[in-house]
Amino acid sequence: MIATGCGDDRTSGHSVDPSGKIVLDFWNGFTGPDGKTMEAIVTQFEHDNPDIKVRMQIIPWGTYYDKLTLSLAYGGAPDVFIVHAARLPEFASFGKLHPVGDLLQSTSPPLTQGDFAPRPWNATFYKGVQYALPLDTHPGGLYYNTKLFKEAGIVDANGNAKPPTNLAEFIADSQKLTKDTDGDGRPDQWGFVYTNFRSNWITFATQFGADIVSADGKRCVIDSPESIQASQLMHDLIYKYKIAPRPDGIDSWLAFRQGKVAMAMEGIYMLDSLQEQTGLQFAGAPVPQFGPVPSTWAGSHLLAQPDGISPERSRAAWRLMRYISDHSLAWGAGGQVPARNAIRQSPEFHALTVQSQFAKELPYVHYEPLIPKDNSIFQFVDPAIEAVLLNLQSPQVAMSDAKRRVDQLLERP
Amino acid sequence: MSATIIAQAEQAKSTSAVVKRRRTTSPGLLFALPHLILFAVFLLAPTIFGFYISLHHWHVLAKTHPYVGMANYSAALTDDIFWLAVRNTFYFVILAVPAGNLVSLLLALGLNSLRRGQTVYKVMYYMPVIISIAVVAVLWRWLYNTEIGLLNVYLKGCVTGLRHIGLPLPPFQPVPWLSDPKFAMPSIALMSIWWGAGGNMILYLAGLGNIPDDYMEAAQIDGANAWQRFWAITWPLLRPTTLFCLVFSVLGSFQIFGQSYVLYAPGSGPARSALTMALYMYQQGFSEYEIGYGAAVGYLMFALVLVFTILQFRLFSQRDDIQPKARRAA
Repeated sequence: MIATGCGDDRTSGHSVDPSGKIVLDFWNGFTGPDGKTMEAIVTQFEHDNPDIKVRMQIIPWGTYYDKLTLSLAYGGAPDVFIVHAARLPEFASFGKLHPVGDLLQSTSPPLTQGDFAPRPWNATFYKGVQYALPLDTHPGGLYYNTKLFKEAGIVDANGNAKPPTNLAEFIADSQKLTKDTDGDGRPDQWGFVYTNFRSNWITFATQFGADIVSADGKRCVIDSPESIQASQLMHDLIYKYKIAPRPDGIDSWLAFRQGKVAMAMEGIYMLDSLQEQTGLQFAGAPVPQFGPVPSTWAGSHLLAQPDGISPERSRAAWRLMRYISDHSLAWGAGGQVPARNAIRQSPEFHALTVQSQFAKELPYVHYEPLIPKDNSIFQFVDPAIEAVLLNLQSPQVAMSDAKRRVDQLLERP
Repeated sequence: MSATIIAQAEQAKSTSAVVKRRRTTSPGLLFALPHLILFAVFLLAPTIFGFYISLHHWHVLAKTHPYVGMANYSAALTDDIFWLAVRNTFYFVILAVPAGNLVSLLLALGLNSLRRGQTVYKVMYYMPVIISIAVVAVLWRWLYNTEIGLLNVYLKGCVTGLRHIGLPLPPFQPVPWLSDPKFAMPSIALMSIWWGAGGNMILYLAGLGNIPDDYMEAAQIDGANAWQRFWAITWPLLRPTTLFCLVFSVLGSFQIFGQSYVLYAPGSGPARSALTMALYMYQQGFSEYEIGYGAAVGYLMFALVLVFTILQFRLFSQRDDIQPKARRAA
């Protein structure tokens, strides 16, 4: 198995190795500990399936889609690859994915809708055709520093740190947790910090019923009153309540790791980075409910095959996909919430404390817009969110500007 | 008889000269061929193909690329983000070129007056030039860090110290070097000057070396002071070098890309204040995969740089000839 960033020895279409094994290329972006987990699953697969050899290539997410896009456009695409839920419509709309519905049904035992959490399952379809097998969901959750909570006296009846569940608690707790410990007039311990503008915004906004595009995906609704309200609240946490630092000039995630910030909302995949921080006492909880409806940002890893794959290779690739899905408990232990119901309901999964906390959010997770232009709209949406959080523009101005641009983009062919 | 012999001999000589000339051209062409092939394959063909792409609606994944005429160009020219990128690029050129050349000139003048250790300093000042911009930007991102960056730490020390000795200064506020739209481009310019000053310094040093010592001696005997000597001798004689450095800095600066790409990339800075033309072209082409639109932006940038090049070369031919020595030093 090759797990290098750039395998220049790979020749596309080199399907069989000298000993007659089918050689499958599998691409993903799991550069962290998740890559080791995936590698272990793949090694086990090769052991159980002696007729198949897997060449796994781990490409950092930052360049992953560039490479994947070009391989799908000009050849050299892998036989199996990870695609995020929000990116699937783009590839599917250009006809670059191989439909997998038949494979799910023909496998034994067949995999059906009932085996998966509904949202990741639905995200594998584009215009009624299924193009992928859902692997996991990675919702944003609340990470909180239990030591700081206890120091501030925010505990339940048993003396355990008690995470906030609604906006009032969140602000009250954060105010207790924001401290100027060295007396220079500026806080050096904060209640909360924005670590990922986009996913944090989606969590806040969707809790107020706002979204980026309309349900039919045809126009941008980011300037709705609900969206302005949520954006204003995010702004106020920094500039009015002063419980979060201005999110520039600091490495916000590092600040949480180092115990300078008590709460952050991040993806479950950040769990590993916290577990390796010695001395950090933390726990996970569902995100507090800031607005009228519970909601949180999430992404999903889906397993897909390229358009034009031969039937023989497609079947071999399917065996790998199915195997990874069947063995996704290990994947969950590595910091993900598996899409398979049977695995999420297993006692082994419940023993994973943070994962099972975040898994509670699954019924109300919210993806980025599942439209072909998802990737493109964020060239306007991200700067708008940033402008609000850095106090460069009012929410009203920033969001109407973004709306105008996104609408233009959606109108383009 | 003898006349015919002479005529024949001359004819033979001239044919052999033709043959010889032919012989000399074909090896010459052979020698140039490797470059010509590379030039054609990697520069000429992509340039022409790029123009072809710019006339089409060309998404990387799409199976067909419909012809759209000048639509990509008109879209770019009516796109306010494109114009913002143009403005930012001009702002960078204005910030970085004059100040950068001044720094290079001052460094060169300083080094030129050194009797010993010139090489050591030359190497030291030149060193940043050979570092990749990616490394430079990562390094400077830390220097510019609002909370713990070296620049702010030093500034804080200075301000606090001055307040201690009784100067009526306001308490130190950390400078948001990279996160404030007002500071983004000046910060990039400062970093770029540090990065590139050594290159022009070498050229200025070469230019200074070309000024004969006799002029200086004569001026000294006439009683000219250092300031007078600079304005009357060094500065005019350095003009070809100065023009050369300015032209090439302007051309280079218009194509600024790496600084913003490494420091900011996606939206490109707070309120897009660090978005430059080259970066916008790259983003449209390779992040949004709208290759046609990106190519159009690239061609507009090409047109702009071309106009400036022509203007500057006009300036050259009117004012002075560029000295071959300075050219070679480049």
